[in-house]
Amino acid sequence: MTATPPAKPTNRLAIAAVSLWTGLIVLVSHWMAQQSQRWLPVQASSAAPLVDGLFGFETGLGTFIFLGVLTVLAWSLLFHRARKYDESDAEPIEGNTRLEIIWTVIPLVLVLLIAANAIRVNRVLGVLGPMEHAHGGAVPTGALSPGAEGSGPVTSALATSDAAATELQVEVIARQWSWEFRYPLSDGDVQPHGDHDGMAGASGGTGSGGAATTHGMPATVSSTELHLPINRPVTFRLLSEDVLHGFYVPAFRLKQDVVPGQAISFRLTPTRSGRYRLRDSQFSGTWFAANQADVVVESPAAFAHWLELGVQQPLQPGLSPAADDYARRQQRPSNGWATVVPAPPPLVNVPGSVALPHDA
Amino acid sequence: MVSTAATSTPPAPGSWLRYLGWSTDAKVIGIQYIATALIFLLVGGFLAMVIRGELITPEADLVDRTVYNALYTMHGTIMLFLFIFPVLNGLNNLLVPLMIGAPDMAFPRLNAVAFWMVPVFGLILMASFLVPGGPAASGWWSYPPVSLQNPLGILLNGQALWILAVALSGVSSIIGALNVVTTILRLRAPGMGLFRMPIFCWTALSAQLIQLAGLPVLTGGAVMLLLDLVAGTSFYRPEGGGDPVLYQHFFWFYSHPAVYVIILPIFGVFSELLPVYARKPLFGYTVVAIASLVIVGLSLIVWVHHMFPSGVAQWMRDLFMVTTMLIAVPTGIKVFAWVATLWRGKIRLTSAMLFALGGIVNFVFAGITGVMLATVPIDIHVNNTYFVVGHFHYVIYGAATMGVYAAIYHWFGKFTGRMLYEGLGKLHFVLTFIGTNLNFLPMHPLGLMGMPRRVSSYDPEFAFWNVLASLGAFILGVSIIPFLLNLVSSLVRGAKAPANPWNAIGLEWLLPSPPPAENFEEHIPTVLRGPYGYGSGEPLVEHQERYEQALREVAA
Amino acid sequence: MTSTSAGAAPGEAGGPGQNLGPGEASSTGHHAHPDHSLTGFVLFLASESLVFLAFFAGYAVLKNGALSWYPAGVEGLEWREPLRYTAVLLSSSGTIALAEHFLARGRLGLFRGFWLLTMAMGAVFLAGQVLEWRGLAFGFTDGVFANLFYLLTGFHGLHVAAGIVLMGVTLARSFTPSAGGGHKGLQAAGLFWHFVDVIWVVLFLLLYVWR
Repeated sequence: MTATPPAKPTNRLAIAAVSLWTGLIVLVSHWMAQQSQRWLPVQASSAAPLVDGLFGFETGLGTFIFLGVLTVLAWSLLFHRARKYDESDAEPIEGNTRLEIIWTVIPLVLVLLIAANAIRVNRVLGVLGPMEHAHGGAVPTGALSPGAEGSGPVTSALATSDAAATELQVEVIARQWSWEFRYPLSDGDVQPHGDHDGMAGASGGTGSGGAATTHGMPATVSSTELHLPINRPVTFRLLSEDVLHGFYVPAFRLKQDVVPGQAISFRLTPTRSGRYRLRDSQFSGTWFAANQADVVVESPAAFAHWLELGVQQPLQPGLSPAADDYARRQQRPSNGWATVVPAPPPLVNVPGSVALPHDA
Repeated sequence: MVSTAATSTPPAPGSWLRYLGWSTDAKVIGIQYIATALIFLLVGGFLAMVIRGELITPEADLVDRTVYNALYTMHGTIMLFLFIFPVLNGLNNLLVPLMIGAPDMAFPRLNAVAFWMVPVFGLILMASFLVPGGPAASGWWSYPPVSLQNPLGILLNGQALWILAVALSGVSSIIGALNVVTTILRLRAPGMGLFRMPIFCWTALSAQLIQLAGLPVLTGGAVMLLLDLVAGTSFYRPEGGGDPVLYQHFFWFYSHPAVYVIILPIFGVFSELLPVYARKPLFGYTVVAIASLVIVGLSLIVWVHHMFPSGVAQWMRDLFMVTTMLIAVPTGIKVFAWVATLWRGKIRLTSAMLFALGGIVNFVFAGITGVMLATVPIDIHVNNTYFVVGHFHYVIYGAATMGVYAAIYHWFGKFTGRMLYEGLGKLHFVLTFIGTNLNFLPMHPLGLMGMPRRVSSYDPEFAFWNVLASLGAFILGVSIIPFLLNLVSSLVRGAKAPANPWNAIGLEWLLPSPPPAENFEEHIPTVLRGPYGYGSGEPLVEHQERYEQALREVAA
Repeated sequence: MTSTSAGAAPGEAGGPGQNLGPGEASSTGHHAHPDHSLTGFVLFLASESLVFLAFFAGYAVLKNGALSWYPAGVEGLEWREPLRYTAVLLSSSGTIALAEHFLARGRLGLFRGFWLLTMAMGAVFLAGQVLEWRGLAFGFTDGVFANLFYLLTGFHGLHVAAGIVLMGVTLARSFTPSAGGGHKGLQAAGLFWHFVDVIWVVLFLLLYVWR
């Protein structure tokens, strides 16, 4: 009945049983760690395997701790119950210094290991791209610096640098409630197909103005659907025109708040073709939930083709489910609950769609 | 205290009318707090039912999106500021003076003032449903600029009333904290050194120290928010040179530690109950006591973990990840101490004990997801998703509210003189435990899949887990029924509570149930040893037999 | 209850200077303890100082992140006049200390004189504040520096005013010793006044010295 019976042979049996049980928990934890990878969306960026690896590790470790605690708890509840009329006290064990040191030191070491591992992953992710802020180093608290927008690495890369050949620049503009993506055109973007005559002169445009055209010739291609070529690093320049928004693509495992007054540069590399959801992850008001866009990761050729088609498209209203819904809402009598009026749908070359099936 | 004697309770001491009016008696105020909090639990719970009703289908079809946003905002605000804080203040009022042998709180009149602010700001918050445009709808964080948008452009808007209510709540909590800390530091019985205090007093002290350190910062931040909203300043408005992220620092500097304000007293409850129902001393009392203070210190330097994706520098992410993870150590110490307390005990599964055990199990789970959330790369993925909602509700409902229930089942008889029914209590426990896990466990896969929190509609792939969560929520709704039934029927015709129904050790059990207005009056006992002498057979106080004799005489 | 009389109550002997080590008693019920209010007040001041700390931190963060700090046409604040008023406020910490010193010696007249002088100096400081506000080229809503300037000085000014009122109340009580609570109220007022002074020093450094 009890866990530590006095007799020696039973003691050995108890040790064997405990070891066996611990082994079983280890196996279950391992299984859970593997299983945990299935709870996550498909891995569509270079960051995803690293994040998932950490999550799997912590799921395994967490399962082990949870089951370990639960086992001891359950054992006590099953076998250390008071008999019906037993009103007496149990043995007065006040503590055990050695045990207390063990369960202080082991968790301490464990969490420090996890933290060290996570910092290492942070570094790798930083190299791969996603954690650089345009102004993060200069203003550690994330304080705004609206006028410094032109000084980050983003715009310098936009113009001519060598990085432009490999790294894509996309400006992301978040509004209540729509997402707009602007692709400043440079030589590299339409090179693969060769028929980019007349585009080169417009490569200096940063697209920071409201209109996407300069004298009839598009300096940018704009859309309300995000297209990205596979395996090519992309740097986003995240801008908000009103409130906080969150740039979140679950399949990429990456997320960054979009802060009004700040231009945040945000890098990632898509690694899997498919159609994914971009979701607003920072509450932004009435149509927050509807503020979604699709992200299409495709081959470089398909991307270049899409860009070319985009150039030829005239500007037209992009997707804005919020604006449509607001129009419908205006038809009905007011319910008295106030809302911010949605911004009109942005004028873009390619509206895209949010009605197609997506992978994650 | 002289002032207590001079000012307390015009209605007859036995009359329950005194609970409806001004009273400076901590035991009356404690019950006023708890009763008020339970009423608001029903209000906040009703809002939760509507929220889960909306989310049972992917489309925004039950209520308008504006209504949904307001409802979830009010749900969070009510549950935190009008349920959990007041209910814990109630426990502080009831338990702290008794446990340390004080006749009352140090400042009885301030105590009453602090309590009466609760219904006042509760009414302000409820009234915000009636102002044009509806109540605040920017979440209980009220992040600017969305909280500053004020679409109707009127001065008396829901958001302004919300800030006013939260500020009043802050003032009330600061007064309460001054009172609790002073009481514990100054009014302990002879012989009760700090390291002879029950753990609940340690955790109450720790929690209220956090209130004193954190609330002023939130209040300062809220004043600036209110000025931005109604006076045309631009502290948080980027177009005027302000910084919306600054508000997040102010907000989380308090609001993360606030979670420890909530959970620390619950740790205290667990630490009180387990020794009673396992008939063993608390394992490692001194370490458990000190761990509370360690948590206080750490809690003040972790707030940025709520802001990993907000636009903070990488070094801040790393630093605050480490400090956050360190909290797992003192917390783990407590959990292991509880488990060791149960080991080889003589366990009795009363309703109170079941709630405590269920709370501990839920808390361990929440602790593990908490470490995941501290890990920056994982947090970047699940931040602001349902994973966080699930984690938070495991803490706040699975552990904290179940701890509150445990406390109510344990001490109800002491303060009302009537015993709660065990059968209904166990039914309440089973429904609560199942409901909690069915409601909040599915939120974790949802978050991992990428469902953002605060959405009024979602993509169809999230439907399955949302249906389960909603079913769990409805079970939780039903679980309140046996609880309320139990409270009412026990008060009306429950068995008379003996002075010490659980055969527990502690100063509060040396008094009749309910205790006299002045507790020990002039017979304050001299404490001889630590609080959990189970199995030692030694008395807690000098002349303990005289106190017990007196109790027998009262009973007879 | 039977009489237990609790042995010799050690709390009785503790007196005001009693510390709270293990085994030491803090109170014996009905004997009101003069220290409770002071303990509470000190805790309150510690807590209150954090409101200022929050404002100061906000000031530093916003200033560090700002591109243009002062409102258009404003180069910085005039500091000479405020420095004079600062000197007045800081000296008043000395006069209140003198007042307390004389009270301890039992010289009630001198106490009242210096106490009143302290109140007057506080009032002079407030008047200086009002004059400065009226002479400024910018208003409350002219950008984030203006917001912070008025918020900080205004919030501090409220504390100065509260301090003067508190001193007034204690002074009035000194004429009616039977009112009770006299001494602890006095100590509290003194503490509060020093607190207000220290806050002002930080405030002055932030607003006027840090360019």
